[in-house]
Amino acid sequence: MSIADIGKRFTYKTQFEQELEEASSEFQRLQPSLNSLAPSIAVPPISQPTDFLRAHTDYDSNSDCKIRMAHGTTTLAFRFQGGIIVAVDSRASAGNWIASQTVKKVIEINPMLLGTMAGTACDCQYWETWLGTQCRLHELRNKERISVCAASKILSNLVYSYKGMGLGMGTMICGYTPKEGPTIYYVDSDGTRLKGDLFCVGSGQTFAYGVLDTNYKWELSVDDALYLGKRAILAAAHRDAYSGGSINLFHVTEQGWVFHGNHDVGALFWEIKEKEKSFNNVEA
Amino acid sequence: MDIILGIKVQDSVIVATSKAFTRGISILKDKDDKTRVLTPHNLIAFTGEAGDTTQFADYIQANIQLFSMRENTELNSKSIASFIRQQLATSIRSRTPYQVQILLGGLNKGTEPFLSLLDYLGTRVDLPYCAHGYAAFYTMSLLDHHYRPDMNTEEGLKLLKLCNEELEKRMPIDFKGLYVKVIDKDGIRDIDFA
Amino acid sequence: MVGKDCVAIACDLRLGNQSLGVANNFEKVFQLGHVFLGLTGLASDVLTVHENFRMKANLYKMREEREIEPESFANLVSSTLYERRFGPWFVGPIVAGINSKTGKPFICSFDFIGCPDFAKDFAVSGTASDQLYGMCESLYEPNLEPEDLFETISQALLNAADRDTLSGWGAAVYVITKDKVIKRYLKSRQD
Repeated sequence: MSIADIGKRFTYKTQFEQELEEASSEFQRLQPSLNSLAPSIAVPPISQPTDFLRAHTDYDSNSDCKIRMAHGTTTLAFRFQGGIIVAVDSRASAGNWIASQTVKKVIEINPMLLGTMAGTACDCQYWETWLGTQCRLHELRNKERISVCAASKILSNLVYSYKGMGLGMGTMICGYTPKEGPTIYYVDSDGTRLKGDLFCVGSGQTFAYGVLDTNYKWELSVDDALYLGKRAILAAAHRDAYSGGSINLFHVTEQGWVFHGNHDVGALFWEIKEKEKSFNNVEA
Repeated sequence: MDIILGIKVQDSVIVATSKAFTRGISILKDKDDKTRVLTPHNLIAFTGEAGDTTQFADYIQANIQLFSMRENTELNSKSIASFIRQQLATSIRSRTPYQVQILLGGLNKGTEPFLSLLDYLGTRVDLPYCAHGYAAFYTMSLLDHHYRPDMNTEEGLKLLKLCNEELEKRMPIDFKGLYVKVIDKDGIRDIDFA
Repeated sequence: MVGKDCVAIACDLRLGNQSLGVANNFEKVFQLGHVFLGLTGLASDVLTVHENFRMKANLYKMREEREIEPESFANLVSSTLYERRFGPWFVGPIVAGINSKTGKPFICSFDFIGCPDFAKDFAVSGTASDQLYGMCESLYEPNLEPEDLFETISQALLNAADRDTLSGWGAAVYVITKDKVIKRYLKSRQD
């Protein structure tokens, strides 16, 4: 019995899926992949897929390319006494066009794991969801939850296997396991994988670092830490043209992650300026 | 990339520049002063293409001093800013433009603190705090957070220290520390910045 | 934007270096007598071209002993920009004003080498011009009163800027009638 079959027993099945399954077992020899919804990536049937992709999607090497992928972000995550704070903005831009102000850049991989997205939105979205299925399979195989270390390694190995083909993602895998405690791994499409206490990723990273570094302490209370995460993203949303929209806040504890709201930068900015008496470069 | 930073406070202007002079993969000098004094109450800090920077700064310095000698007055900061901008805007449409980024700090008419940011294209903006190059990416958010217009020089220097710490922590190259100058009603003085 | 015996002209206040926002007090609309000149594009040229036209408008005033009219000023802009046909100023100008003799509202936009576009409803320019066209096409209606015109132009500008990464950081609006100019700053998103 294959892993996929074991997996099915523990998963709720719709009528459609059942039918599909029956059909698939009938045609198994003819159509072995009918039931396989597992991802498989098609590669353009030409000698150099990388060059093809670069010519048509990479703005830096070809400024009149026809396809522009969504880019630009600020995301951060840091560890502290009370767990992990994850905060992200919500802007998606294609060139100078703001494609959306309401992007979800935190992907809830499972109730214990969060992934952030920066870079090519679709790459992050797809592979982190895929990572979710891998984590679930790991649970079923081993009867225990996957460690953050292992989860991040799965993703890192995957993206590394596509190295040079134009994937573009910078992500933080955040989670809390009894073995590891609160843990953050930075994973990017170069194949880099780093464990750490504090990361900012995206075009607005420097601005977020600027605020975070000066105010960060391990002993921060949960409320202060949530505020600091929010404040650092706000700073980046203000200065960086490619960040903005609204801020999504998460707190990760041993019970799993907790969502702490979506905060629109339009209103939040004036509220914080009023409260802190900061942003003195802006006239009210 | 060199660091050029300026903060305008209640009664003075603080200008900080990195000490490292980098060429290719080497630091050629670790006590390089990237500022020129124009008048007793005005100075410029500069960065950009090697050679252009010092040539242009010397040229501005000479012209401003020539004016002061001829007219026996000290030019005010706004006039100096206009003059530098005009020179840069003319230069950008010449065969060999000066590639320099400039920060002008001073006391306008010897009383009102003044800080102006100019780039090689001839863009000019007057700001409460500003920086050139990558330093801006790290320090602007920090200054947005902590800057208050009614700060005194002491508090301004404390804020600059925060900026320095952040730059030392996050900048991938060693910039060998900062030279810090304060311009107030008594003129220009160096600050020992450990 | 043209209304009933009035015109309005508005700009955002951002000055940026690519992704980095540098200043939020960079106005791009200038008053020269009773003519208003809006300039988008390379910041250095915005300043230089403004200085140039200020000089020309003042010289005109001295020679003719009257302020320059919007129509004449538009022709001046056109010819001045075309003088630099082979080394142009990188600006997108808009001229707006009310003719002091006839009381007729006038607006006109240009490309960067001076080709005039005499519009009778609205004229737009800048990095968010695509978005502005969309907003103006849907919000604009003819013969608006000054207060309604203010609302229309403000909404058009703010909502267009909110869809452009390089625009925003505050806005300034001028509403011009025959005997009065009202300037207002708008509170806008700061991201």
